[in-house]
Amino acid sequence: MKDIKIITEYWGKINPLKIEDYINVGGYTALEKFVSKMNPEKAIEEIQKSGLCGRGGAGFPMGDKLGMVAKQTGEKYFICNLEESEPGTYKDRLVVDNNPHLLLEGIIISALSIGAQKAYIYINGNYEKQKEILEIVILQAKEKKYWGENILGSKFSLEIEIFSGAGAYICGEETALINSIEGNRGEPKIRPPFPTSAGLFGCPTAVSNAETISNIPWIISNGGKKYSIIGSKNSPGTKLFLLNGAVAKPGCYEAPTGITVKKLIDDYAGGIKRGKEFWFAQIGGACGKLLLEKELKAKMEFGKECECSLGSGSILVVDKSVNIHDLLISWTDFFRRESCGKCVPCREGTFRLWEIAKRFRDGEISDRDKEAIQDILWTLDNTTFCPLGKFAGTAFRDAVGKGIVKF
Amino acid sequence: MIKKTIQNIILEFEPEAKNILPALKKISAVFGYVSEEDVKIMAEYFGVSESKIFETASFYDEIKTEKQPEILIQICNSANCTVNNSFSIISEVENFLKIKAGSSASSKFKLEEISCLGRCADGPVMVVNGKIFERVTKSSLHGILGEYL
Ligand SMILES: Cc1cc2nc3c(=O)[nH]c(=O)nc-3n(C[C@H](O)[C@H](O)[C@H](O)COP(=O)(O)O)c2cc1C
Ligand code: SF4
Ligand code: FES
Repeated sequence: MKDIKIITEYWGKINPLKIEDYINVGGYTALEKFVSKMNPEKAIEEIQKSGLCGRGGAGFPMGDKLGMVAKQTGEKYFICNLEESEPGTYKDRLVVDNNPHLLLEGIIISALSIGAQKAYIYINGNYEKQKEILEIVILQAKEKKYWGENILGSKFSLEIEIFSGAGAYICGEETALINSIEGNRGEPKIRPPFPTSAGLFGCPTAVSNAETISNIPWIISNGGKKYSIIGSKNSPGTKLFLLNGAVAKPGCYEAPTGITVKKLIDDYAGGIKRGKEFWFAQIGGACGKLLLEKELKAKMEFGKECECSLGSGSILVVDKSVNIHDLLISWTDFFRRESCGKCVPCREGTFRLWEIAKRFRDGEISDRDKEAIQDILWTLDNTTFCPLGKFAGTAFRDAVGKGIVKF
Repeated sequence: MIKKTIQNIILEFEPEAKNILPALKKISAVFGYVSEEDVKIMAEYFGVSESKIFETASFYDEIKTEKQPEILIQICNSANCTVNNSFSIISEVENFLKIKAGSSASSKFKLEEISCLGRCADGPVMVVNGKIFERVTKSSLHGILGEYL
């Protein structure tokens, strides 16, 4: 495959813990270019031109987000979101395992472009090894003056701190994440105000996903225009896809956006595993849609018009030997457990759906349950405070609506 | 070895809001859980109310606010591990130890179903007293538990 590789280019080829290895393949030249030949406005302009949009799930344009914070004055923050607790998703962990300096360079450039004095890396509490890797590379980069006071002899300065999460899926949501750093319960905050105007400790803050950030050095080095012609028109670039379940070669693959699910399964993951029969695929983690065989030509992209949002980029291929009752319980139990409890429709709705899934497994589902399912799904979709509740019923709804389960 | 006390743990942290969660995590990790007494000391040190400290502590999975059983077994039941048979591992533990997932009936063992740990390619994933085991099978399970029983 001769796909362009932006994030995975050097995976397995360089020692991730050696800054010299990264520098030898052109690492930190984007940062050098930023401090010596560009200015923040120019950098943000290039990122806007690139069309890069958020890889954390929502697909918001990165350049616009940086621009909003850049135009504010006073104390500001940049946060790298490495909470990554969407089931089936571990791409950001792989970025840290395989090329942590790429991420760090992206964080430094992004933070400087908005005029932040401090960058936080909010990392999943289970990612202990990755936290250690980041600690090592952060020290290495400091010695080379890539961050700290007067970066590479320039007027730019930046502090970087790692903040470790404590086990809560909702803390991946940016306002909950901010609450968590502030020492509060990790519940989402009401918006507006958006973090870009009043975020961490009330200061303008840009929160970006680790994969999004890892594209920044390439864009700064090669220009936004060159990036914008890769992949899908509305959400250009490459994306990390995680293929798991009944595929021959499970793993993480970088492919241009706009690729179909079918192509990912067949050309990247080696097709369906021998002896297994395809049933459906779940796209983008626990809150993702289910696609049947005939729907696999759906293109993987972000945006309002797309057929199936790619979400976190994880694709779980489910074969006919899987017990659907287990999966229904898995999905509903996940949201029941991870609902932060702030709003009633989600706290109650996720709990009831889980109870019904268990009764269904035990052959005790009643007519009342069957009717309640539709009400609960509607309530979750339309009345919850944050997207966790809204998407808590997606897989369940598809399982029922697409005839995967029958009562 | 000097015995760690709550006082010398919190002194490692500046009394700022952003250190509340890290301090709670550390206390929970060192003592197994955050006690009422710990909450009082934390509240005084950080200059906030006890209820505020408790609210935060009780929210996060990694911070325990009750004494934990001797052996805590956690099994991921998120979708990828489910497809890799985590439910049969859960049943096997339930039958073998005569406990129910989620129940606190036994003071010795507790079995919890937990959310994805990002090791989905190597599931099913089981955690025993904080130690992670991947690709657990019914037969490897008995070997692992044997070490703790
Ligand atoms: C329930 C929930 C969980 C989320 N989890 C994550 C996460 O683990 N990582 C992430 O980067 N974004 C996550 N997000 C999205 C963030 O709120 C935010 O949009 C994102 O970090 C912005 O970065 P991006 O623009 O680069 O995608 C989550 C959102 C919701 C509603
Ligand atoms: S929808 Fe769920 S997760 Fe979101 S605020 Fe309400 S209870 Fe919390
Ligand atoms: S689904 Fe179990 S570790 Fe991810």
